[in-house]
Amino acid sequence: MTAFLLTLVGAALAVGLELLEALAIVLAVGSTRRWRDALLGAAGAVVLLALLVVVVGPLLLARLPLAPLRVVVGVALLLFGLEWLRKGVLRLAGRRSPSDSFKEYLEEREAMEGVPLPEAGRPDWPARVIAGKGVLLEGVEVVLIVAALGAGPKGLAPALAGAGVAVVLTLAIGLVLHRPLARLPESHLKYAVGIVLSSFGVFFLGEGLDVKWPLSDGALLYVAAALLIVSQLQVRTLAREPVVT
Amino acid sequence: MRALRKLILGETWSLPAGVLVVLLAGLALRETAHGWWVDAGGFILLVLALVVLSAALAPAHKRR
Repeated sequence: MTAFLLTLVGAALAVGLELLEALAIVLAVGSTRRWRDALLGAAGAVVLLALLVVVVGPLLLARLPLAPLRVVVGVALLLFGLEWLRKGVLRLAGRRSPSDSFKEYLEEREAMEGVPLPEAGRPDWPARVIAGKGVLLEGVEVVLIVAALGAGPKGLAPALAGAGVAVVLTLAIGLVLHRPLARLPESHLKYAVGIVLSSFGVFFLGEGLDVKWPLSDGALLYVAAALLIVSQLQVRTLAREPVVT
Repeated sequence: MRALRKLILGETWSLPAGVLVVLLAGLALRETAHGWWVDAGGFILLVLALVVLSAALAPAHKRR
């Protein structure tokens, strides 16, 4: 139950935050250029991502035996998780600007306003490429995180359920436009995702290397607690140290 | 390519290098430490991951 819930929450948070960033880019391109081109670029990226899932997913799962697969997944989740956690610690300590999709939206809008629009009826390639690239890069991370979490003890179900919840929530945010983007505590949410992904990374790596975790799936809780304590100590230490540039 | 590298490996080299060290240490200990690895290996991996995180944050401590 612990693994199921943590996988679901972790997938929902990670996917939601990535989709939010992709949404910010598409909204920025669509509102400054033409919605048709922004959506075409995004749709092209979604098709490429679907191909990636259809081609690579079954190949990986069918050919690799379970233990090496868990090592690979553990390493991938550790790479993602520790990076999110590192950035999260720096943001919470005030050493890095807070994660802000609304700010990204405004910056992207500003950048797009400088590019001249093509004549009516002609394709707007800069808009398509920027929207497509944004969705593709964030989407690859979504695919990797869901695939990695789905290789866990409870299978793909909780990871896909979490991703589904994230898609619905992000679309709802997109429908009421960009206002709620400014209100989300993104830095704290990303820090929490870092804790969850890193916990799964350590857990899977251990399982792949024949470790027997005390309390089985419950180990995820004390691994997460250890990561939380150490990262919070880092936040407090860094926040106290004076910054001299 | 730079965006893809940043996406997979992150913004620093210390984290991927540290995770590689954790993996190699885990593989080596599993082969050499018979008996206790199964019960204590998880805690060793956890401590190593915490060390990697702290090492990746070390440059921020120096910047003062």
